[in-house]
Amino acid sequence: MIVITTVPKSHSNSKIFSNILTVILILLTMCSCKNIESLPYLNISSREDITITDSLGREITTVSSPEKIVSLAASNTEILFAIKANTTLIGRDEYSDYPLEALKIQSIGSLYPQVNTEVIVNLQPDLILAAGITNPDDVTALEKLGLTVFTTSIASDLDDIYKDITNVGVITGYVSNANNLVDKMKSRVQTVQDNVSTYSITPSVYYEIDASEPSKPWTPGNGSFIDMLITTAGGTNIGSLSNDLYWQISLEQLIYQDPDIIVLGSNKYGGQTKSTVLERPGWETLKAVRTGQIYEFDDDLVSRPGPRIVIGLETLANIISMSEYSQ
Amino acid sequence: MKTPIAASILLFVILITALVLGVTIGSVQIPPKIIISLILDRLSITDIAIEDISKYSTILFDIRMPRVALMALTGAALATAGATYQGLFRNPLADPYLVGVASGAGLGATIAITTNINSNPLGLSAITIAAFIGGIITVGIVVMAARVANTTPVTTMLLAGIAIGSFATAATTLLMLRRPDGLQRAFNWMLGAYLGGGWSPVKIMIPYMVLGSLLIYINARALNVFQLGEEQAQQLGIHVERLKILLIAAATLMTASAVAFGGLIGFVGLIVPHALRMMTGPDYRRLLPCCVLGGASFLVLSDLVARNIMAPRELPVGIITALTGTPFFIFLLRKLKRSVF
Repeated sequence: MIVITTVPKSHSNSKIFSNILTVILILLTMCSCKNIESLPYLNISSREDITITDSLGREITTVSSPEKIVSLAASNTEILFAIKANTTLIGRDEYSDYPLEALKIQSIGSLYPQVNTEVIVNLQPDLILAAGITNPDDVTALEKLGLTVFTTSIASDLDDIYKDITNVGVITGYVSNANNLVDKMKSRVQTVQDNVSTYSITPSVYYEIDASEPSKPWTPGNGSFIDMLITTAGGTNIGSLSNDLYWQISLEQLIYQDPDIIVLGSNKYGGQTKSTVLERPGWETLKAVRTGQIYEFDDDLVSRPGPRIVIGLETLANIISMSEYSQ
Repeated sequence: MKTPIAASILLFVILITALVLGVTIGSVQIPPKIIISLILDRLSITDIAIEDISKYSTILFDIRMPRVALMALTGAALATAGATYQGLFRNPLADPYLVGVASGAGLGATIAITTNINSNPLGLSAITIAAFIGGIITVGIVVMAARVANTTPVTTMLLAGIAIGSFATAATTLLMLRRPDGLQRAFNWMLGAYLGGGWSPVKIMIPYMVLGSLLIYINARALNVFQLGEEQAQQLGIHVERLKILLIAAATLMTASAVAFGGLIGFVGLIVPHALRMMTGPDYRRLLPCCVLGGASFLVLSDLVARNIMAPRELPVGIITALTGTPFFIFLLRKLKRSVF
């Protein structure tokens, strides 16, 4: 933004912008919209074509078992690998970095400021898998160029993720693998829920998304995906006192809420660690800091609506149960 | 540069070169032979015998050409509007965003993004239209706020522009923070509109460009006189108030369409007019056509770099305009050592 606003008058503006830019970049990878409620139905009209309704409510017709797929989201890439449909993957966005084999697939570049349509057209894919985070303008542009785009949901709960996995299974022809994966995920979630039901208390959790401004870090609010995961894992999200999906909590409010556990989702992309938290002025008064209940956490496990979401849930549940036993 | 004529010929050659390079170089390498035969085929001079080059045809005609055209129009608009504002405000720091177009367009786009308007009238996204309207409304408010007893003093307009611009930016930031689901799109938009829209943005931008630049060009002589000061200009028979409003309206139309379609690209509107003034002299009758050629070339070349330097990743073109434009401008300053104003 500093580049864009070169007029002297905008110095103050560019400061405001640069302050929020870091946060924006963190939030870019997070899916935070309210879910567009659409129940995808399947209609296999012939052996050749599949018509399936995507999360944008559009009926997408594509060849069954496409041989060349380009994935525009890390979550979609992870789904393709998990259901072993990765042999069809010929292109991925540069944020698709898991599993490690994904890095061997040709990158089509960044999604921001927009996808490189030229590179995608050159790959001539049968199908492009977009996601809730994909810019609708990109979807329109790709379709205008005659390509088929299927968009997975802006997941707001686990059911949305199951639905996406099933849909990707149907559209790629790996139906049974997808169904098995969903069954496995459901049973692992059930195990977590069974354990949680035996807890006597629900420890309060502060989940940190970004702390580039430690005096008012970003935290997930009520109704956000992470809020739902913390609740399912047996904790109470202190961020849920705001109905904004993501918001900046004041240090004052944080001290007042005094969480039992601090989870640093700001670790992987923001470089925050247990020791950087200890150095923050004013934070030493927090109970979680005094008792050492600070956990570094891989944010990808909860920000990508794909198969690894259960690992995220289990990790959160482990953190919360440890605190449970310590009390 | 000895004569302005030579300068314009040079600029014209540069523009043609920039356009050719812009279309032929991209993150996908298309063999020159195929490019030539594709173009000959499109002009129905020859038929292509080679199969399986439809993808190259799509890349060339539906992706690269409209984008290069859009960048050329945007660069021409920003440079012309920048030169006009520098003359009108008699201030070398003036740029096309001085009276609030950019912040207004940003607010308009953010409102459209956060309210999830998804209709596409005229084949354009609602965001584009909202940005265009936002830019024009903001300038309108600035001009009205600055009006004192039937005159619009330029200093008042400048201050009103800063105040209302800051207000719009604050409102934009608030909206973005309140609706994080719109953050990504709003942020993307601020990095440079949406440049993958095909030919429709180009077609819609052309009339604004032609109308705006003609309106400014027929007042080129008046702009020259205006450099002597408002009172002098008035005494020399220039209808100063009418000229100001007319020029602001024309420059705003051009800038608003440039911002809505090509994005908030800094630097072009500030530096290109200065660089060209050093080459051609301060006469607006020569400077304005040179701004069209120079602005277009500069932005097409910058976009070429933005698309290719880290391919397949694309960079926002504003980064390139500032990174490459600054050293070039400093070089010109030092070489010519001539006062700009």
